[in-house]
Amino acid sequence: MTRTSNETGAGTGPLAQRRRRFRDFVDETDPGALATVGVMAVSLLSALAGFLAVSPLTIIPFAVFLVSAGYGWLRHQGLTARVLTFSMMVSTVLILLLITVFIFVESIPVIRYESATVFGVSIPGLRLFTQTQWDAVSPPIRYSMVPMIHGTVMVTAIATAVAAPLGVAAALFLSEIAPPTVREVVKPGVEILAGIPSIVYGFIGFTILSPWAADQFQTVGQGSYLFVGIVVGLMALPTVVSVAEDALSSVPESMKSGSLAMGTTDWQTMTSITLPAAFSGVSAAVLLGVGRAIGETMAATVMLRGVPQLTKPLYNAFYGQATLTSLIANNYGEADGLQMDALFVAGVILFITVLLISIGAQYIEWRMHRKLGGDV
Amino acid sequence: MAGATRTNLVKGDTSEANAVAAVAVAVAALLFALSLAALFELVTISDPVGGVPVVTLLGLILAALGGAVITFGVGSFLSYVETQPSPSAGLVATTALSGVWFTVGGLVASQTLGLGGLTWLPVALLAGGGAFALTALPREDIGSTLPAGALTLLTGLVFITGTIGPAWVWELGFQQQASFTAEFVIPTATLFAALLSGWAAAKAYGGFGARGRHMGAYVLIYLNASSIVGVLFVLVAFTAMKGIPGLLNGARVGLGVGPAVGPVALPVSVPFVMNGAGLFAEVKGVLPAIVGTIWLVVGAVLFAVPLGVGAAIFLTEYAERGRLTQVVEVATNGLWSTPSIVFGLFGFAFLVPRFGGNKSLISGMLTLGFMLLPLVLITSREAIIAVPDEYRDASAALGVSRWQTIRSVVIPAALPGVVTGIILGVGRIAGETAPILLTMTGGTFISGGQTVDVIGGFRFTTSPPFVANPELLEATTALPFQLFALIKAGVGLGDNVASPEQFQWATALMLLVVVLSFYAIGIGARYYFRRRLNHE
Repeated sequence: MTRTSNETGAGTGPLAQRRRRFRDFVDETDPGALATVGVMAVSLLSALAGFLAVSPLTIIPFAVFLVSAGYGWLRHQGLTARVLTFSMMVSTVLILLLITVFIFVESIPVIRYESATVFGVSIPGLRLFTQTQWDAVSPPIRYSMVPMIHGTVMVTAIATAVAAPLGVAAALFLSEIAPPTVREVVKPGVEILAGIPSIVYGFIGFTILSPWAADQFQTVGQGSYLFVGIVVGLMALPTVVSVAEDALSSVPESMKSGSLAMGTTDWQTMTSITLPAAFSGVSAAVLLGVGRAIGETMAATVMLRGVPQLTKPLYNAFYGQATLTSLIANNYGEADGLQMDALFVAGVILFITVLLISIGAQYIEWRMHRKLGGDV
Repeated sequence: MAGATRTNLVKGDTSEANAVAAVAVAVAALLFALSLAALFELVTISDPVGGVPVVTLLGLILAALGGAVITFGVGSFLSYVETQPSPSAGLVATTALSGVWFTVGGLVASQTLGLGGLTWLPVALLAGGGAFALTALPREDIGSTLPAGALTLLTGLVFITGTIGPAWVWELGFQQQASFTAEFVIPTATLFAALLSGWAAAKAYGGFGARGRHMGAYVLIYLNASSIVGVLFVLVAFTAMKGIPGLLNGARVGLGVGPAVGPVALPVSVPFVMNGAGLFAEVKGVLPAIVGTIWLVVGAVLFAVPLGVGAAIFLTEYAERGRLTQVVEVATNGLWSTPSIVFGLFGFAFLVPRFGGNKSLISGMLTLGFMLLPLVLITSREAIIAVPDEYRDASAALGVSRWQTIRSVVIPAALPGVVTGIILGVGRIAGETAPILLTMTGGTFISGGQTVDVIGGFRFTTSPPFVANPELLEATTALPFQLFALIKAGVGLGDNVASPEQFQWATALMLLVVVLSFYAIGIGARYYFRRRLNHE
């Protein structure tokens, strides 16, 4: 509060103020400490630059950084700790940036290769989405993302249909209904469900579920979007449960008690007070579950057929070909050159979609907290 | 209340009627269990039980259940049973029931009656509209029981008359062939009808109205929660059952039978865990994969924990809320939800070229470290925020600097939460396959002699970077990758191990044991710390 009033009161713009604050900081700090911190910053930055440039000399600035940090820790612990933790915080943003840059850069060649001309304008990467043929071996070599996007959409839709209602119901159970002793059993149970490695789900799906499904639905060969969707839904379930539970329990107790005091049943309170108040949080939970389902790799890789083509007809969920994730995991071995870059395109699509979902979910949660008057 | 005068007259019936409704709920639960058993072929639908085929038996129970539900509803409507129904069954019930009847009507018209073209649509609309009218318009006791009970009755009659018998098949006529078989349809339809009339019966048991809806919803929610726990239990128990024979293959207990650890020989020998998969190993095992997993986890923890905890400290203790902290929060949550395979791609493009150009252990470690980072940051941040401000104020009042407060007050108080978060995060990354697929994976069957030895691998060199560790720069294997490779190897596996299936299940069990023990420790630690906190 005070800070904002200062900023508006000074009237010199944030940049000038930042400069002044920096000058104050330099004036107040002991020059020895300042020098140490300066050496640390410069050496860390050059180590990073060296690492990015694949230089064998990276070790030298990194060693300088370690030595200066050690010296700073002994002599000026407070400031050193502050600078160290600051650089650690920056590194998380840096990693996200690096991921974005590197997977984008790797995917550029195939985006160029698959450009298409519309009205005389060449749009790079358009053909990835306008034709449906993936053929990496025999000419004409074509890379299309359409079959994989179709697969991902199918799996995600089925998984959401499984995870959303069951997850929200389980969250209601945990946060509103369950007696304490039952909660103590069910809650760790849900957590452990999240802990079972996806490859174990995939293995059980592959050895038990897929043959069973092929037998039940008399399909040719094994692998269906339907059952991959169900398994992935089960894996997304814990995410939905835990986030939705947080949202439900952040509804102020006074609202619930107020309703119960009117003589309503618990269920009426839940449907007319708790759920509407927590609605945005619960939808954020479902969104995050969708994000998990989109990114699920191993179960899809093991259980699907791995042939990048559309199912016929499109809504035939009893056949499963490939998803964006399974494409990468299936083909990384033999792929090189353009085909490897095509895998990176799949990665870019996944990354952007899931990042947007994550940001959307955060926005929704933030709005809910503001609405309920809790601290953000 | 309008029903107040009637209440005394029908009081005697109430308990009996309630008992009937309770029995109906119980029958629905029984049907639910039975249809699950049939779905997974624990019970075959064509076999007779006591001279009656299972299908007919299911049909009879369903018909009885449907009849009971309808009778109860009508009884309540005619005031034979004391209830407090609302004027209408409500929006959710109406939508659900009309949707179901629309589907059933359409399927019967197009498939059973064989009407071609779009002629199924009027029938479907008729059925859906009828159900809509029946649910929405009359009082709740009719509205919620009649459509549900009638559907159950219809399902039962279809099974009894043999319209859908054990040999029934519906070829969907897709270009890629698929069909519904009786083995799937009969249990699924039973399951669904049981759920629907179980809900209606529970509502009836509660006497409709607000209390009835409460009962109906609670039955479904309890069922959901217990199914989730049930699925978990079945998954773990099934894997354990299938995996234990392979895991204990050739295991011995006795003095000095195991491999030597230092000067003493262990008193147990479990070859599957203690052997590699070398050519001459009597019982092939997964020791290299276990060691590989451990080193991966150690590397990831060494990288991610200092970074994550440090970032969390800066975010909560130093940073003022503003643009920067918001960006960090968005980035952290973005990293948290980034798909694991994308981390793999990133490791392949970023780390692999920087560590010798080959897949290597250290690339795998760092890739998993990137994945662990947001988990550590989020949980540490929560733990640090949860430290009460009084602690900080009390320390600051002593005239101590900010960093000393953090070091000697905030971090010790937040430590339990941080440690628990780290353990749970480690449990998650230990089972990840996708990121190491592109960054670390080597061969599948690695002999015991090739087990990685990171500590013994360090060498000093004269040229930069002066320190080398060939063990870190070589690909090795890990449990999740091993399982993936075993699945992919399929039939060819027979050349390497005597019983491929046993070996696969044992590997799966071993992976599950490793990962779940992290979870068990994490959850246990949380309970321990919470209890200690409550006692203080």
